[in-house]
Amino acid sequence: MKIDIKHIAKLSRLKIEDDKLEKFEKDMETIVNMVDNMPDVDGPLTLLDEENPMTLREDKAVADKFKREELLANAPEVQAGCLVVPKTVE
Amino acid sequence: MKLYEKTASELSEMLRNKECSAVEICNDVIERIHETEDKVGAYVTVCEESAKENAAAVDKALANGENLHPLAGIPIGIKDNISTKGIKTTCSSRMLENYVPPFNATVMEKVNNAKMTVLGKMNMDEFAMGSSTETSYMHLTRNPHNTECVPGGSSGGSAAAIASGEAVLTLGSDTGGSIRQPAALCGAVGMKPTYGSVSRYGLVAFASSLDQIGPLGKSVKDVAMLQSVICGHDRRDATSKFMEYPDYAAALESNLKGLKIGVPKEYFGEGIDAEVKDSVMKAIKEMESNGAEIKEISLPSTQYAINTYYIIASAEASSNLARFDGVKYGYRAKDYDGLVDMYEKTRSEGFGDEVKRRIMLGTFVLSSGYFDAYYKKAKRVQNRISAEFTDAFKECDIIATPTVPSSAFKIGENIGDPVKMYYNDVCTVTVNIAGLPAISLPCGKDSKNMPMGLQLIGSKFSEQQLLNAAFGYEQICGGFDVLSKSL
Amino acid sequence: MKDYELVVGLEVHAELNTESKIFCDCKNAFGLEVNTQVCPVCMGMPGTLPTLNEKVVDYAIKMGHALNCTINNICKQDRKNYFYPDLPKAYQISQADVPLCENGKLEFMVDGEMKTVGITRIHIEEDAGKLLHDESFAGSLVDLNRCGVPLIEIVSEPDIRSSAEAKAYLETIKSILQYIGISDCKMQEGSIRCDVNVSVREKGAKEFGTRSEMKNVNSFSAAVRGIEYEAKRQIEILENGGTVIQETRRWDDPKGMSFPMRSKEDAQDYRYFPEPDLLTIVVDKKKVEELKKQIPELPNAKIKRYVNDYSLAQIDATLIAEDMEKSALFDSCCAMNKCKPKSISNWILSDIAKYTNETGKLISETNLTAEKLTALIEKIEKGVISNSAGKTVFEEIMKNDGDVDKIIEEKGLAQNSDSDFIENLVKEVFANNEKSINDYKNGKTNALGYLVGQCMKASKGKANPGIVKETVTRMLES
Repeated sequence: MKIDIKHIAKLSRLKIEDDKLEKFEKDMETIVNMVDNMPDVDGPLTLLDEENPMTLREDKAVADKFKREELLANAPEVQAGCLVVPKTVE
Repeated sequence: MKLYEKTASELSEMLRNKECSAVEICNDVIERIHETEDKVGAYVTVCEESAKENAAAVDKALANGENLHPLAGIPIGIKDNISTKGIKTTCSSRMLENYVPPFNATVMEKVNNAKMTVLGKMNMDEFAMGSSTETSYMHLTRNPHNTECVPGGSSGGSAAAIASGEAVLTLGSDTGGSIRQPAALCGAVGMKPTYGSVSRYGLVAFASSLDQIGPLGKSVKDVAMLQSVICGHDRRDATSKFMEYPDYAAALESNLKGLKIGVPKEYFGEGIDAEVKDSVMKAIKEMESNGAEIKEISLPSTQYAINTYYIIASAEASSNLARFDGVKYGYRAKDYDGLVDMYEKTRSEGFGDEVKRRIMLGTFVLSSGYFDAYYKKAKRVQNRISAEFTDAFKECDIIATPTVPSSAFKIGENIGDPVKMYYNDVCTVTVNIAGLPAISLPCGKDSKNMPMGLQLIGSKFSEQQLLNAAFGYEQICGGFDVLSKSL
Repeated sequence: MKDYELVVGLEVHAELNTESKIFCDCKNAFGLEVNTQVCPVCMGMPGTLPTLNEKVVDYAIKMGHALNCTINNICKQDRKNYFYPDLPKAYQISQADVPLCENGKLEFMVDGEMKTVGITRIHIEEDAGKLLHDESFAGSLVDLNRCGVPLIEIVSEPDIRSSAEAKAYLETIKSILQYIGISDCKMQEGSIRCDVNVSVREKGAKEFGTRSEMKNVNSFSAAVRGIEYEAKRQIEILENGGTVIQETRRWDDPKGMSFPMRSKEDAQDYRYFPEPDLLTIVVDKKKVEELKKQIPELPNAKIKRYVNDYSLAQIDATLIAEDMEKSALFDSCCAMNKCKPKSISNWILSDIAKYTNETGKLISETNLTAEKLTALIEKIEKGVISNSAGKTVFEEIMKNDGDVDKIIEEKGLAQNSDSDFIENLVKEVFANNEKSINDYKNGKTNALGYLVGQCMKASKGKANPGIVKETVTRMLES
């Protein structure tokens, strides 16, 4: 199966250098061919599991768990208490 | 016998009998790290100072007659994808090379509450994607039994440290075999607990529906002790199971009489090394002669397990790893032109090739037009694989298989061939797909003098029975000889 | 030009007024300092996991009941994947193929007629953060406080046929959200926003035209403007022989124009899949029923009741019913059964509405209570005070508060209905106005009004005008 590696990379926000493109393309095709071999299983597929329901959280707020500086300490660029990104064109 | 050579349960007893101090244990293991780390490369970060501080505090508490957890003062290494407050958590990726979490994973809170001595963070395949620890951005980790060979992966550092004596216990994570496979290749004991029994809060996600943190050690009892520390319901993890969790080590029992062991023929077919088959079959026979009953069973959908696994795991990974975008934490590319370019360069420079392959595979199987053919189909096969296990456990108590098709391969041998590398997980992925607990035990060495692994699989939340069976086998072997003699 | 028909579907996003966020225990609050209502979970730090707030599910189910939906008490959440700096995880936890509520309908009045719009679905999801832009700064700033604020998205069928219908639909949705108490609906805080799907077709055509989706519509009036602009734009294209392309457009309200964001070709591929960090949502059927019982009487039912039981005009009934405070006041006053509902309605829609509009206050923030309003109207209806004195009492209550009886007494506003007093008053006025009496007798009936006015003046406004008029008439005829 032919994979549009450039499209997939774009969707994944990855840039594949031209010299690596061929290798990635080949690897991806091999991998996709591997996972392609799947049996057809009959019957409806439900992704719901009623037997295993989720416990929900009580609506209670906890204040001041973390300081802003702690949370932003790993950020590459911070200004005025905000994360900084290249200008987003609206 | 040096302290680092001892098991956690032995050290625990010695501490209580005042035959040694926590500081002595800590210093001995740190000395061992200094001695062998150059050859092994198990650690990404070593925390000597805080480890010694903890050991001193434990000694003080013991002197004051405080009632401490049995594992207090026992040195432990933590896989570097488990969040440690104030300690770098890199996932062995350039992306998180300098990332210091502001919070602890739930398991770290438990480890700290037990006053275990945290030695540092263990090397791994980048974001846990790999079976040899070769995809680590940091450095190679070598198999202590033969440093030309890989330790397995992705928890390669965690397994190698057990075999080299650089840690007494370690935590790993297992998404498709990442605890059991390296445990087998390094001759250690490693358990992947039932999905939902150990909180994933703070474990940097690879595939959320498959990931599970688990213990590695030199003995079944050690692994049982550590599992008792880390298991339990956690409000912060919606997938964690609310129930009573037993004290596994306290209830450990080696009697194999009447234990029904299922042996699935699909795990002994093509692609499995003859030496591995023989040694695993020999182990099963030994358990039989000690009172266990052997039943041949069939798990026919095993042949699709690798495919199913790579679709589901990569799909989830592509989404889980999207947050690494150079905005909130982690690596950001230096030069870029606008937002999209910043994203693309950051992610391309921050991730290694294997991570990129999996992200792209995951993106592909979820993308418009392919979701039904891949993701949904894989979910159906997942349900079938689970159902086959459920049926099998009507006939037997545990299932025995090889952990890995062959012993450790040479560094560089498989790294150029992703699919060949993926087949290393052929015996382990089914367990994650079905959410079951499984343990890998050393079962002898092959002609290259490298360890091989026996995998025992239990039904959901049957850890006690699984550990008991493993303990029974360990007793037959007269204990496991885990430490490398060749370092 | 051909005759065109407008086809509109609306997606309303309403922030829920829970105490904590949808997936973490951070406070759900607006307007606080940037990045202070944040924790590792809503910031999307590696290793963190979501835990679903029970109240979000309850609130969405209530809205589902209010909009006559089927409640999927067994459902799940899904990830919607896309990269943007205001979305820290790079996916939004939402609901895809199995929403919490679906197949509902909403009835409301437009221009005196009942309109029904189908509700496709209501689902729960998390809000994103905010990007801040500044001319002087080369980059953009990210504030994550709003990340994880709970939202419900209410998706309508393309049943709306005019901007007036769209406006009435939105107003009704807003009043229902307020009635069931699940959203503050503060437009200026962005707590309700909508996406608008617009297409046009020739009248009578069976097929829908190609639609465009307009985002960034932050007020109901903007929705009306956006719809009208978009309809005009599409009709112009068709009239010029062109074809409308399916695309996402951004509404720029200050400019009064929409601009293309992306076309269908480069439409985002959101790669939805089930959220693996959360298990199946299973709400006990009993609880679903209990939540239904908690739904109060909604605007539509109130309008019907006001028209049928109290004979209010449709427009008055609608104006009161759509405003929760007005209808609460109206209902309380009516329940006391001391004055005419029509009088209550008049007071609420004139003096009280004027006051709250001018001051920007809520009724509940003023001194006025149902008891005081009822007492006031009762005094007028019984003739104790005049209508204009009533306004004075009202002003005094709003300004300084106080008891209705006391204000009347202190300000000497009570009317005099004593027949001897009024008869003497009339005699006095007649004595000084012979010309007017003669005018009246010569058929100039408007002289009556003049004489009554003189009597009122002579009494300094305190004589009961009804009795004065009656007495003047009687004495002129005699």
